[in-house]
Amino acid sequence: MISGGGPTRRELLGAGAAGAAGLLALPASAAADASSTGEPPFSETDRLQRLIRLELLLVYCYRYVLASSILGPRAHERLAPFVGHEEAHVAALESRLKARGGAVPVGPDSIKTANRYLANRGVGGRLGQLKGERDALYLLLTLEQVTIGAYFVAMTKLRDSELITLVCQIMGNEAQHDAVIGLSLPKATPGTAVPYGLVQGLQ
Amino acid sequence: MVSDDGAPSRRALLTGTGTALAGGVLALAGCGSVDTGKKAVKQTSASVRERDIAILGRALELERRTVAAYIACIPLLTRPERKACRQFLNEELQHTGELASLIKAAGGKAPPRADSYDLGQAATDGASARALVHSLEALQISSYLGWIPQLSPAPVRAAVASILTVDSQHLAMVRVMQDQDPVPGPFVTGST
Repeated sequence: MISGGGPTRRELLGAGAAGAAGLLALPASAAADASSTGEPPFSETDRLQRLIRLELLLVYCYRYVLASSILGPRAHERLAPFVGHEEAHVAALESRLKARGGAVPVGPDSIKTANRYLANRGVGGRLGQLKGERDALYLLLTLEQVTIGAYFVAMTKLRDSELITLVCQIMGNEAQHDAVIGLSLPKATPGTAVPYGLVQGLQ
Repeated sequence: MVSDDGAPSRRALLTGTGTALAGGVLALAGCGSVDTGKKAVKQTSASVRERDIAILGRALELERRTVAAYIACIPLLTRPERKACRQFLNEELQHTGELASLIKAAGGKAPPRADSYDLGQAATDGASARALVHSLEALQISSYLGWIPQLSPAPVRAAVASILTVDSQHLAMVRVMQDQDPVPGPFVTGST
């Protein structure tokens, strides 16, 4: 069901459950047994780069939406601080990446590039084509859920204690963003904004 | 059952949570984290499993304490807050199920539920009820941040992190009920 050009929250959440079910299909010891499965060996540097790319996409999308006047005053006020949060995540992840000798990825430099990244990640909605607050909120909501999913997958692989703690702190923060965006949707309540007992994001 | 002021009785809450627990278990069956974590924990050494069982047991006790707090506090809240907090209570019950399941998979036995839990100063009105659930959600977050890096293997950490993530959302929504900034910083710490 598509409403207003974007999927409903129920559909998105259903997709989240499907994503979680998809994770179930992963071998439990995938990370430990990569050599026998033919999977490439896990690299913390590679994982950090992936997470930073997503965070940079979030920064771009939040900036675009907040600057476009597409949000009503209430949603704008609620979401405005999130850009700074995402920038803080980028800074924290970049410092860990540089400490490991990794090259810092760059974020999207145009709407066209950002839209290509959104499409690659299966996020519905495109910058420049958002028709109202609802479209913008759903785009950000889905992108937050994709980001949570990326952090969850990272959690199934990481070994470094300090990095694990950082990833937990950021994953929790992204989930809070997800809940606040959900609360900004029409007829939402604090209960509907946190509809599931386990959150693993979209994968 | 609803009391004169429209607040649900303790019995009604418990009955409701029983129903919700059944639903939660069903939802859990379709969820990847616990099964992945269970499979992974079975493959670890006995010493690692013992350490995990001890940590997961402490986490379970804290979740049960939070469940007790929600049950005690919900009747003191406004109707919309009660509705939201019943949802959060159901999710906390789901967390207890997840943790008990992981303990069992590690070869341990979940500690028995206590007859009562020390909730500190009793909540007497809506404000103190909101403050109490706020403090316990924050305590859960700070505790999980300390415990998760100690757990092994990684899929078990991920399973428990999915609980931390929801507790972070609960805290944000409780802050909304308290007219506070729901997301005061870029990293969850559980400090406030």
